[in-house]
Amino acid sequence: MKRREFVGAGLAVAGAGMLGMRPAYAQSKQIVVTNWGGDWNGRAVKHIEAPLLESKGWTIVRDLNEQPQRMTKILAERRLPRGTVDVAHFADGEAYTLNVQDALETIDYSKIPNAATMIPKMKQPYFMPWLYSAWEVVYLADRIKDPVTSYADMWNPKYAGKIGVMDQNYGAAMQVASILAGGKMDNFEGAKKLLLEWKKAVQPKIYPSHQQAQAALKADEIWMLGNWKARGLQWQKDGLNVRVASPKEGGIHTVFGVVIPKRAANKDGAHAYLNALIDPEGMRNLCSDNFYAPPTTAVSIPGEVGAKIAFTPAQTAALHYYDHKYWAENITKWLDWWKKDFVGS
Amino acid sequence: MSAGGMREDRNWGGSALVLPALVLVAAFLLAPLALILRYSFDKYDPVKLMLGVFSPGNYVLAVADPFYQKVLTTTAGIAALSTVIVMLLAFPVAYYISRLESQRLRGWLIILTMLPLLLGNAVRSAAWMIVMGTKGVANSMMLGAGLIEEPIKILYTQTAVVIALVSVLLPFAIITLQSVMDSIPTSLEEAGQSLGHSPLRTVFGVVLPLAMPGVVAAAAISFALAMNAYATPVLIGGPTIKMMGPAVYDQIAKANNWPFGSTLACILMLATLLLTVLSTRFLSRKYF
Repeated sequence: MKRREFVGAGLAVAGAGMLGMRPAYAQSKQIVVTNWGGDWNGRAVKHIEAPLLESKGWTIVRDLNEQPQRMTKILAERRLPRGTVDVAHFADGEAYTLNVQDALETIDYSKIPNAATMIPKMKQPYFMPWLYSAWEVVYLADRIKDPVTSYADMWNPKYAGKIGVMDQNYGAAMQVASILAGGKMDNFEGAKKLLLEWKKAVQPKIYPSHQQAQAALKADEIWMLGNWKARGLQWQKDGLNVRVASPKEGGIHTVFGVVIPKRAANKDGAHAYLNALIDPEGMRNLCSDNFYAPPTTAVSIPGEVGAKIAFTPAQTAALHYYDHKYWAENITKWLDWWKKDFVGS
Repeated sequence: MSAGGMREDRNWGGSALVLPALVLVAAFLLAPLALILRYSFDKYDPVKLMLGVFSPGNYVLAVADPFYQKVLTTTAGIAALSTVIVMLLAFPVAYYISRLESQRLRGWLIILTMLPLLLGNAVRSAAWMIVMGTKGVANSMMLGAGLIEEPIKILYTQTAVVIALVSVLLPFAIITLQSVMDSIPTSLEEAGQSLGHSPLRTVFGVVLPLAMPGVVAAAAISFALAMNAYATPVLIGGPTIKMMGPAVYDQIAKANNWPFGSTLACILMLATLLLTVLSTRFLSRKYF
């Protein structure tokens, strides 16, 4: 959009920006962090922010919201002289989309000593990985006796009416269907046909998000659904009798991490936050609690929990990775298709 | 100074008092609305968000697309049904409160009516989710009473959305109706009854026609709120019940398609305005 044409957008955003605007103090001890809410943020506060930052004099201002709203805010603020967010939590695909739209700062890893042991493949100039897991299959152990070995088990008509799918994770549903339709991560056309057949034959129940899906498993409404391995293990810990199956087709690798918006007011504070985020001690406690895997070799999770979290060499070799470019260019179209043709049909 | 001059000064003083409110409304309501209108004629781009063009393409797409036609008709249908139920429930309650002799009881009932408004809409919707869930209060009670053998699906249905919307709208309708009924003298009802009308016929023959301005106002408020509902359809309706409020949100926040989201918002505003004006005029001609 041209500068002149952006006047309109400026009017809307400037109001909010001016109200929330604060000076860029290099020495400021305040860091504005935007993150998902709920237990995701609760564990970040408990294991990282409170012991490693707030106890050392930093003030963390939390702006908690769902991913689309937070992305929209950063996109809207990229044209302002100064934004309202210093650090934002996102998955790697979302970070790629923001970076393509010129909304992110290049991270200065020399200011993050803890990043020295980070797995290089996951590290991006605009995105620092924090936790990773894979999209697998979660199912009720006392309802499904035959061990689940494939994504295709969710397509089995004998489980008709007992399969769940989460509306907010429509992208993962499309990826799974695409893998089943031929293993493509850069072309989802085959996925659409398979998903429509799935809807007709298996009648999956659609839930808004994880919380409702968890409640549905508890209530015996559904027996099986795709989800992150870490989320399945958390549900186990919460007392739900579920198993997590690594599908033979390979899980879908998902990395969660952080970015620094281009218009962040406190970039020094943001880098200090990033360093604390991957502190080995903090990560060990966090990963033992939320079952995500750490992206640094400096952290090892001991005992049974460590074994549950870890991916075997075979599982790691089979992992599917996002095609971020394809994802960013098509996500709007898929959302449209998902709402109209899948959910709406 | 002449008396006329003083009156003019007082008028100016009155206008000056209105000015801050006018400026606020212009700045925080009309300006964003104008922006939304402008955005609605723009074109979405995955990288640039908006291209800065002026095209009616979004309107053509929204009006011609059967999906959005269905979303709009579903929204209008749910809003109309909720409004009718709300008016049927609110009228007797408002009438009862307005005819109470005990001011103390009357005060308590008004406070009770307004109590739900002190809670956020999302909080009330969360409570409904607990009531309507498969293992929720409603299913447990029906199972316990032997009315059903298996839990029935209540949550994530249109019926659930209508029930929750009625609960949201009821206080607005009761308070609006009750204030109008307060102004209807009881002597008119007594006159009706002295002419041989039954109490029920008196209500429908005397009270209802006189209360029609309040009925129209309450119905218009309820309908507009239901058309624009967001939290209730999202939390109670779930992903499968499509209404315009969530559809606008999906486009703006999830798809980042601000132009098309703005188009849907403008269509929603226009549809709400048109339907409200048409129904108000219809009722006004019939009863005023």
